[in-house]
Amino acid sequence: MDSLNFSCQGESHIAAGKVCQDYSYSKVYKNGNATAIVCDGHGGKRYFRSDIGAKIAAEVTERKVKTFIDEVGLSLLKNKPFTQHGTISEQITNQDFDKTSDIERAFRQLFGSIIYEWNAEVLAHATHNPISELEKEGLEERWIKEFEANINLEKVYGCTLIVYAYTPEFWLAFQIGDGKCFACDSSGNWSEPIPWDERCFLNKTTSICDSGAIDEFRYCYEGNGQSPIAVILGSDGIDDSFGSEENQANFYVQILKSIAKSGLDATLSEVETTLPQLSKIGSQDDMSIAMIYDSDKVKSTTSKMIKWQIGNVNRAITEESIKIEKANKIQQSLESVEHPTRQNMIDLQYANADEKRAIEARTKLQGRLDALLMELGDYGFTEDNSDLENDKGAKVG
Amino acid sequence: MSLLDEQVSVPRRTMTLFFLIDTSGSMEGNKIGAVNDAVANVLPMLDEISAENPDAEIKVAALEFSSGVNWLYSEPKLASDFVWQDVKAGGLTSLGAACVELSTKLSRSGYMQSASGSFAPAIILLSDGGPTDDYESGLSKLKSNNWFKAAIKIAIAIGDDADKDVLKQFSGNSEAVFTVHNIDALKQIIRVVAVTSSQIGSKSSTAGDTTKQDQVIEEVRDAVENIQGAEAATAVDSSSYDDDWD
Repeated sequence: MDSLNFSCQGESHIAAGKVCQDYSYSKVYKNGNATAIVCDGHGGKRYFRSDIGAKIAAEVTERKVKTFIDEVGLSLLKNKPFTQHGTISEQITNQDFDKTSDIERAFRQLFGSIIYEWNAEVLAHATHNPISELEKEGLEERWIKEFEANINLEKVYGCTLIVYAYTPEFWLAFQIGDGKCFACDSSGNWSEPIPWDERCFLNKTTSICDSGAIDEFRYCYEGNGQSPIAVILGSDGIDDSFGSEENQANFYVQILKSIAKSGLDATLSEVETTLPQLSKIGSQDDMSIAMIYDSDKVKSTTSKMIKWQIGNVNRAITEESIKIEKANKIQQSLESVEHPTRQNMIDLQYANADEKRAIEARTKLQGRLDALLMELGDYGFTEDNSDLENDKGAKVG
Repeated sequence: MSLLDEQVSVPRRTMTLFFLIDTSGSMEGNKIGAVNDAVANVLPMLDEISAENPDAEIKVAALEFSSGVNWLYSEPKLASDFVWQDVKAGGLTSLGAACVELSTKLSRSGYMQSASGSFAPAIILLSDGGPTDDYESGLSKLKSNNWFKAAIKIAIAIGDDADKDVLKQFSGNSEAVFTVHNIDALKQIIRVVAVTSSQIGSKSSTAGDTTKQDQVIEEVRDAVENIQGAEAATAVDSSSYDDDWD
């Protein structure tokens, strides 16, 4: 196993003179285990030490997960099939909350210990680092008073948390708040193993600083030897730049292809260059990724990942072709109207605009498809010519 | 190979601006004419905001409600493409039905994309009267919608007969209700609210605590001070204007 992580200050934070409030961590241990963590400190003024809270959360979690794995992980999770658990409120709604389960209890204990330790370290930090005059600038008076009285300190340090931990026998992942965890399997397909929490919506997120934080964790695990070949955690700055899960996974494929082709160091350097650019053209937010991957399996799966990309591009080409056909039908039906109404004229105008946009999009996609087919050719996939022709056949003209 | 080469799409996010327009019988004449004129004229401005904004593109959707509800188009259109079709007044004021319809479209199966690819929408409600249907259950459904909760919501009360309590319930904030008393004020407020909501709504948030809705309210309130015949909510109960729709 190998690991990679990187965080950078977002474009909007640079403009506002704010520090990077994300924190990422990844490590492969001597025993073959590995852990990746991403924490995203909240952005509001009230959370004026969320960058420190994020770092503390990652450090505390790394220790607690290590203990969990060393002490109970194997006995609890070995041979267990892939299992997902939503938040407690979702489990109660779905009537699948089983507080008597050893695994459920152990995970709740893990989450409780993380929250407890994080709060203790936050308190210690606040005690040793009184609020400065600089920090007081722009804060509401009541927040300053609360801080000085050690009230609601956790809010000041609030952040989200995503974790993936791998061992040769099992793996687990858990999360509170937004950001996403993507996993790639040995077929080159992508999934999000941790259930989503609908309360994380637009700029709202659950948080380790919430009063009911323990009930807001969601998690998953698997112990039957079916571990992903790569798991990538990303803060919401990454999600918001790509809009769709498919776009985001597509970016992660680019990272994995770079690893397969150029190795870890060169890829890390690319990531360090790319994420600030991505923040600039995308969400403007802080950016973090942390990943654990099996480099041999990534190399042997690269051609499948390219095929996954080809499948997506083909689907997109088909969608654009359908739009063109639809626009053409409207154009044809309106051409035969002798005395077009204003509504007819507007419909024709829209059909023309839709057709133009779809043709441009399809042309761009065809360029992508050609590049991917060439890339696949580099992997010696000449025996799949019929499949490749089918892929090209999607380019309906 | 760059990690952001031609294989990677980093699409602009989308901010959808919704106009909810009361087209009941009482809007007939100058009021509906002013609405048609103002919305048609503000669209090119929204297109400019969209074109100059690297963060997001602006789409527009319009729902008219009277005895029934009707979307001007079956999907939100880019501000650059939107061709305004004059709406006509007549019938009752089915605000409840409009709320239900809006709630249906504020979803991924409706007019919205993935939350990750979107900014919260901006919703502008224009009305000159009170609902004639069961608006409470419609509004209750709408208020449980996550997109609506996050949206910038501004209501424009057209004249003193508008039910400002209902508009306040819709926008969730009495300060988000602005009242106009004449045609010029109506045209100007539509422009100011649409432009301000689009400018603020389509920008990435900096790390401030002020909500986008509050930012819009503050800017519109400042602008209203210079519009004869327009009032911010704080002045609603002691209006210094008489309605003049001739």
